[in-house]
Amino acid sequence: MDGVIKIEVPGRPPLAAFNLDGTFYVTDDTCTHGEASLSEGVIEDGLIECPFHQGCFEIATGRPAAAPCTVPIRAYRPVIERDLLHIEDDGA
Amino acid sequence: MIATVRLADGSVAFPCAAGDNLLHAGLRAGIGLPYECSVGSCGTCKYELLDGRVETLWAEAPGLGERDRRKGRRLACQSRPLTDCTINLRPGAAYVLPVPAARQRVAFLASEPVTHDMREFRFRAAAPARFVPGQYALLELPGVGARRAYSMCNLANAEGDWHFHIRAVPGGRASRILFGPLDERTEVVLDGPFGLAYLREGPRDIVCVAGGSGLSPMVAIARGFAAGKGHPARRLHFFFGGRTPADICGESLLAVLPGYGERLTYHAAVSDPEAARAAGWPGPTGFVHTLVEAALAPNLARFEFYFAGPPPMAEAMQRMLVANSVPSAQVHFDRFF
Repeated sequence: MDGVIKIEVPGRPPLAAFNLDGTFYVTDDTCTHGEASLSEGVIEDGLIECPFHQGCFEIATGRPAAAPCTVPIRAYRPVIERDLLHIEDDGA
Repeated sequence: MIATVRLADGSVAFPCAAGDNLLHAGLRAGIGLPYECSVGSCGTCKYELLDGRVETLWAEAPGLGERDRRKGRRLACQSRPLTDCTINLRPGAAYVLPVPAARQRVAFLASEPVTHDMREFRFRAAAPARFVPGQYALLELPGVGARRAYSMCNLANAEGDWHFHIRAVPGGRASRILFGPLDERTEVVLDGPFGLAYLREGPRDIVCVAGGSGLSPMVAIARGFAAGKGHPARRLHFFFGGRTPADICGESLLAVLPGYGERLTYHAAVSDPEAARAAGWPGPTGFVHTLVEAALAPNLARFEFYFAGPPPMAEAMQRMLVANSVPSAQVHFDRFF
């Protein structure tokens, strides 16, 4: 079962946390093409499809995978410790 | 035949005249159908056909991927209705045309060189030319199947003049006619204006970045800025990138504008260091996006960005602006591939 939630963190753009069949991934939530929230999109074959113009990104890497998206979203490496999802953000 | 096109959510219906495509018919009717390029390449106008039949103009259009085709998606700019249709797509206010678009015959007046491979072409229509700086029009040239999008370099005018900087594409069908040279009797049809990367009034200083024939819309924005009644302290930084010194242009067009050298400045970069050395280029070398980043650092989010140029330049600009946390609402460009 795949799922995604939006995570608002004060002082930075929102994140999208994915559960792809038990494996967790975290990316930026805002599409690089428009101002859409990717967590409102559809997950399919490891891709998140933006709800605005059906552009896609690879969830694991952030790589753009369908037009009109051409600029990657940031993908973070999450670590689970004591049931909490952590990501490392270098602030860049 | 006039087809009626309905949006699946029931919000709106619009007429589509014979020969027109779904996208432009919707835009002409004042509906904000999402789009950027108008010519099948960007993929922003994807939709699903729920009822009715359409003719597909360019089946292999790069704006649709394998996945889109599998899901039965189509491009509105490449779809001509054959019957009344019901379509699924989500309109947005940002896409509503700022001025109406019309298809009309234009006469070729003259052309003059800009660089070794670029010319300024001037056409005149019977009606006044209404458009916003930064927009483009689609030209239909005889013997060229698909319409070509070219951005205007002049400003709206009562005379009906539409001016374009166009780069010769070796072997290109449109180039063969335009650079043939273009015969005054050639029948040219213009449809427009379209495009979202047009000049907006606002408080921020402006950055224009151009490469190749991206010069045209950026010159229009600089001209619009110079002619406008915006805040006198507002500035415009114009950057041009070319591969060799022979490709560098635009400065002479800006130098005649009021405020040049003060609130309006010009910078150019040459990307091929060999060519720069060979020609004794005195300016910076490197890709133009790195010049922009270096010149405006550290806080790029204080500017409004407009850019146009070859896809690698546009892509590099986008990445650089995302990396510098510039909100996408401050980034204006139309995606062509």
